[in-house]
Formats: sequence, C-alpha cells, structure tokens
Amino acid sequence: MYRLALNMLFGDRAKLAMLLCGLAFSALLMAQQSSVFFGIMSWTYTPMVNIRAQVWVSDPMVEQVNDAKPLRDTDLSRVRSVDGVAWVAPLHTSFVQARMQDGNFKLITLVGIDADTFAGAPALLTQGRIEDLRLPDTVIVDEWGASLMGRMGVGPDGKPRSTPLKVGDTFEINDIQARIVGICKVKRAFTGGPFVYTTYDRAKGYTLGARRTLSFMLVEPQKGVTPTELCGRIERDTGLKAWTSDTVIWNWGERSLARNTFWWFWTNTGIPFSFGTAVLLGLFVGIAISGQTFYSFVLENLKYFAAIKAMGAGMGVIARMLFVQAFTAGLIGFGLGAGMAQGIGRAMIEKGMPPFVMYPQILWATFVLVLGISFVSAIIGIIKVSRVDAASVFRG
Amino acid sequence: MSPPTPPIAVRASGVDMFFGTPDNQVVALKQADFEARRGELIMLVGPSGCGKTTLLSVIAGTLTPQAGSVEVFGQRLDGLGQEELTSFRRKNLGFVFQSFNLIPTLSVIENVMVPLLIQGRPYDEAHARAGAIIEKVGLKGREEGRPNALSGGQQQRVAIARALVHEPPLLICDEPTSALDKDTGAQIMQMVRDLSRSPERCVVVVTHDHRIFRFADRIAEMEDGRISRVVDDPKLLETAHL
Repeated sequence: MYRLALNMLFGDRAKLAMLLCGLAFSALLMAQQSSVFFGIMSWTYTPMVNIRAQVWVSDPMVEQVNDAKPLRDTDLSRVRSVDGVAWVAPLHTSFVQARMQDGNFKLITLVGIDADTFAGAPALLTQGRIEDLRLPDTVIVDEWGASLMGRMGVGPDGKPRSTPLKVGDTFEINDIQARIVGICKVKRAFTGGPFVYTTYDRAKGYTLGARRTLSFMLVEPQKGVTPTELCGRIERDTGLKAWTSDTVIWNWGERSLARNTFWWFWTNTGIPFSFGTAVLLGLFVGIAISGQTFYSFVLENLKYFAAIKAMGAGMGVIARMLFVQAFTAGLIGFGLGAGMAQGIGRAMIEKGMPPFVMYPQILWATFVLVLGISFVSAIIGIIKVSRVDAASVFRG
Repeated sequence: MSPPTPPIAVRASGVDMFFGTPDNQVVALKQADFEARRGELIMLVGPSGCGKTTLLSVIAGTLTPQAGSVEVFGQRLDGLGQEELTSFRRKNLGFVFQSFNLIPTLSVIENVMVPLLIQGRPYDEAHARAGAIIEKVGLKGREEGRPNALSGGQQQRVAIARALVHEPPLLICDEPTSALDKDTGAQIMQMVRDLSRSPERCVVVVTHDHRIFRFADRIAEMEDGRISRVVDDPKLLETAHL
C-alpha cells in the first residue's frame, strides 16, 4: 500500500509542488537563519581564533574576550613564576580610532603582540614579513581591513582611491604614523573593525594616556601540562583568571573564554531572540503551509480513503500511508531547503557577508524539525480520515 | 421435482437503525428482515429515503444496527468490534460504488490492486492478478492509463474488476448504473452477472434503475425502512417497473 500511497502523492503534482515549497522554504529559513546566527556568534570570539595561544590570562572580572580589563605589567612575572608555565607573552587589545588619508576616522581593533616572540601574531601573511614589525611605526593590517580602509585613502593623483591598502601605505593612530609592513589573513570580528597588529610596546604608544595596557597574557604550558591543568594552577597562585583557547563550539570546556564570550552575547544582546524568532517563523510557516496543503490533499482524497476503509483497510494501514506520504514530502522538502541554504551559504562565504557557519548539528536539527512538521501534517490528516465513516461511500 | 433451495448467504432479522438524537430521531430501518441466497443476484429497490442504502451498509458491516441480527456467510456481524468488521470486509466483500470511487492519481491497474494490497498480498502477485481481471472486463491495454481518461462505462468496469479481484463471496453494488446510459448500464449489469455468477457468491445490488431489473434473480422492494415484498417471478422480473 505504501507504493500506492506514494503514487497518490506524486500523482497530484500541483499539491505536491505546494507541499514541497512549504517544506523547502521552512527548511531553508531554519537552516539559513541558524547558520547566519552561529556565523555571527562565531565572530564574537574571533580574537580567540586570530590570536593563537593555549592559555589566556585575564583580570578576574573579565567576562568575555572583547571586554579586556587591563592588568599590571608586573602580573607577567607573577604568571611566569607559576609551575608548569613554559613562557608568557603580553597582549594588548583595544578599540582605537585610525585617521585615514582623506581625513576620515575608522574604528580599529589594535592588537599589540610581544616583539621578541611574536606570540599571538597572525598565522598567514599575504604581503610582507612579520619581522618587519620590529621596524619603527609599523603595523600589519588584515586583508578585509586593508580593503575597507583603502577606500578611505587618497591616491597619488589626490583623488579618492578604490584599491586596498598595501605594504608601504600609511595612516595615523593618535597622531602617530602607522606604516603598513604586512597584510594578513584573519577572521573578521563581531565589532566590524579591521585588525591592526603591532608590537606590544608600540601599542602602548598608540594608546597614550592609558595607565595599564596589558589586556591579556598569552601562556604556553610546559610539556606534559594540559592547558586546563595550568589554568587551575595560575588561578590558584595568582588570583587572576585563566582560560583555555578552545573554540570548537561543540567541545567547549568550562574554562573556555570563547564559550563565555558566546554566552555573554547570548544573554546580553537581542541576537538569539532575533534569529530565534526567524527560525520559529520558519517552523510555523512550514507547519501552516505544509499542514494546510497536506490537509487539503487529504480532503481531496477523503472519499477515496473512505472507500479504502470500506474495502477493509484499518486505520493503522491508512495512518501509515499518510505518514509515508508526509515523511516522503518532508525528506524531499528538507533536501531542497538544505540544498538552497548550502548554496546561499556558499555565496555568502565567498562574499564574506553575512557570516555563515552551517554545523552538521544545524542540518540535523532542521531535518528533525521538518520531519516534525511532516508528522504534524500527517496527524492532522489522520484525524480527519479517522472521523470519516466508511458507510459514507454509499452516499453518492 | 424442483432443485434444492440454495443456502442463505445474507440474513438480516429485525434490524432497527436510527439516526439523530432522541429528540430528533430519523428511523432508517424498522424491524427490517432480508435474505439473500448463495448464487443469486438480488436487487434492493424502493423510493429515496426508504432505507436501501442503510440496509446495504448494515449488510456490508460499515454500519452497526441498534437492534436485530445480521449474518453474512455464517458470520454474525452484530456484536463484532470495528477491527473485526474491518477484517471481515477485507476478506469477504467487494464493492461497486455509484460514483466509481477510483483514485484518480493511480493508474487503472493500481486501482484494481488496492483490495489485494489491503489484504497484504505482495505487489507482484497483486499486479498479475489485477492484470488478469482487467483483461476479463475488456480493458486490456488500458492498465497504465489514468481512470479519468476512460469513459463512464469503462470506469465502472474498472470498479467491477476492483470489486472482484480478490474473489469475495459477497459483492455489494450501490447504484452501479446510475451514472451510465441505458446501453452501457445494461452491459455493466451483464458483466456483473457473468463475472459474479457462482454458487458460492451472492450479489446485492441497490438500484433505482428499472431498466436493469431483468438482470435480477429476485427483487426486494423496500418501503419505510423495511422489505415490503420480494418478487421472484421471472416473468414479472422481465417487465418489472416497480
């Protein structure tokens, strides 16, 4: 009977198309919005990805990576003395205004790294050399930032330029020249500003007036000491807060600064509500369109279901037929919707905006929700058919 | 010496059937008695609202009467639960409906396969048996077409094939010719008669169509929810305009 149930479904192409549209749109909305949500949320802990270190140490009051509370430079020595520490490097992060050649200002994320070890330096430079950061007044700008800031520059002819900044170009931070010696490739941040890397000492100069400039300390554990273990020791011995750099979203440990950042944005911003509403909307639209279309399909076939009942098919058989029809439509609708979401995602990733992270778990969750919509649709149909009297087939 | 009377196939005794609420009750059957024998084609006739369809539904086990007993091929239907009635219909009944009730999104052969698939027969076996009976009703070559592409007479032939494909002992026909012209109606009734004629099978036909009375072995006339008379005189049947 299941083969016939499928033929009944595929035989009514108009209804099937409508049903698939509803389910596909719903799957698309749920998968795409969830992926953009996780993409945006992954931007919140971007510094954890761009500045690589096994252990981060911060002021105990720090809640998330974008909210650095400056430490004293002497804290470096305190952490260095903790048993199990291989090395410690200072890190400065702050938001400052950069003045471009055309007089415009641009908010940037200034990252000051240790000039000796370059701990926390970007992993990939597309232009220049990291060692050139040791030269006076030098910075490294990220690729996207170079493109953004390039549009605020002035060309040799004195007209606005349209090309990205490149090695050799300059701008100013707090009236101090910043000369570009490298372009790096890093992940974009939630705050939207370009990443500008310089040395820790030069960053102090760029942020004149700030008494404390040590935002975080980057720590490497000695061989045989796990980051989690070292975090415990640092906290016990110094009273500072130590974090692991775990950014694998599904493996977050309790000491993950990325996790704290993620949840800080979750609880302190309207982002989850906004995207959650869109996902719920997708679910409700799916239930409404698919439920109604499937109900209409059942209504149109009601007299045939009544005839099948009269011929001796029990409600169990008919219910299974309806489930087969609804779940088949659900599977196809999910495939179409998830495929479209992937396509849109690829286009987004190429363009870089908005961020898009489609975890396998998002696909699984969407799959389950689409099957849930199919289940609800089937149940509505089953209730309708169960109320049909088999004797009604004799009433013309 | 006259041949022995065939055994009873369907017996309904003292059947009462009411619809509506106690304050607004409609009496459909009132102490109705009905008998049909094996090997015969019996027609239930009477004016609209006399209870023909209700009696047919009671015999088919799709309605349970408030009073009286119903016995079909030795099986008492009164007192059976819904599942048992469903199982009974699946094994023992074939239906031909007034409006054919062929599923338009399925092919002709798939429509005919339905009773066999409901019985749990394998798809291939059902396909083969359905093909054979479609050939018998003269629609070979139309198996894969949709019912909507057929004429009314052809659609009713498909319905007859569907009703007989699982070889049920009781064939229930509800106004099988009401949607057909005179000649097609006669052809259909001839087909019902030819294909269903068997000492072990009984055919009950509800009809208004006096043009087909001549195909009946007996005619039971209903009035006010009960059988008022039964005609079995062949001469009278030939010219019957009840």
